[in-house]
Amino acid sequence: MNPGDEELVTRAQQGDRRAFEDLVERHKQKAYYIAFDFSRDREDAKDLSQEAFLKAFTNLKKFDGRSSFYTWFYRILVNLCLDYKRRQKRAPTDTFDETLESHMEPSHEPKKPRSPDQQVLAGQFSRRIGEALEALPARQRTAFILKNHQGLSIKEIAELMETAEGTVKVHLHRAVTALRQSLAEFA
Amino acid sequence: MADRNRIPNPCKELEENLVLLHYGDLAGAERQTLRDHLASCAGCTDYLKELATLLPLTIKADEPSQIFWHDYSRELRHKIDAVSEKQSWRRRLSGFFQPWSIPALAGAAVVMLALTLTFGKGIWQSNDLPKDDAAMIEALPVAENLEFFKAMDVLDDLDLLESMGNQGDAA
Repeated sequence: MNPGDEELVTRAQQGDRRAFEDLVERHKQKAYYIAFDFSRDREDAKDLSQEAFLKAFTNLKKFDGRSSFYTWFYRILVNLCLDYKRRQKRAPTDTFDETLESHMEPSHEPKKPRSPDQQVLAGQFSRRIGEALEALPARQRTAFILKNHQGLSIKEIAELMETAEGTVKVHLHRAVTALRQSLAEFA
Repeated sequence: MADRNRIPNPCKELEENLVLLHYGDLAGAERQTLRDHLASCAGCTDYLKELATLLPLTIKADEPSQIFWHDYSRELRHKIDAVSEKQSWRRRLSGFFQPWSIPALAGAAVVMLALTLTFGKGIWQSNDLPKDDAAMIEALPVAENLEFFKAMDVLDDLDLLESMGNQGDAA
């Protein structure tokens, strides 16, 4: 039987490197996907999620088990992602579309050939989604990504964002409303 | 592209619950009430349909390969190694600077400084000076003293002149 997160954390806190590596293996994919949802860039998502693991490793002794490791770790990750977005806003580089397309591997689904018109439309839509997500306030964007992209429960999101469940619901509703308005022409 | 007039117009007070219903986060009585409402409200039904169409489109999935995940773990292990190395250095350093060792080291430094100043004057003075310079260094305090004595002579002269002046006045 696989040990739970708590047991691995206890062992890692006692200096068991293998236990921490097991935690990494267990959470790396979810961590990466959350970081990707925020950054929309493969390299940045890798760096951000790895940075979160490093931060967790160096601060593991301070983890007191009041929340679950899952909540504690993803809180570190989300904060890093929000910092990354703030830094990116100060120094904008690539457009959403270029960044995204250049790092995408071919999807498992076979791609249907697109007509030039469809390609233009898809590009516009993709760009508009990126812009719409960027335009959301940080907490709305966080609530939306964690719900819509990651499927976390309202309770989990509230714990992660250290706020009330009612507040998360409000953030989520406002985010959906804003996105709906931004993407109305594509509906 | 959809006509703007066809944008669903849900009941304002139910919008938040419709979003939660879409995500499966509405339960119990609230869920049942909303379901009943949906049976008779086209605006809310269309809104829910729109959410179901629109929101999944905002997700851009990424499917990294196995190689990526393998590299990911290897790279992270190296980074953790580097951090561990740094931490162990820091621990060794902090072990050296124990709370008791700082005052002890400071005390030792003060004693060393005092001993150096007391007995080390000769050591620190350079013996490599040319003979003329050394003679000059020895003569300088004497010369300063000479100047002092000259000044004293002038004062004596002044006193003599003054006393002579006084005698003249008395006469």
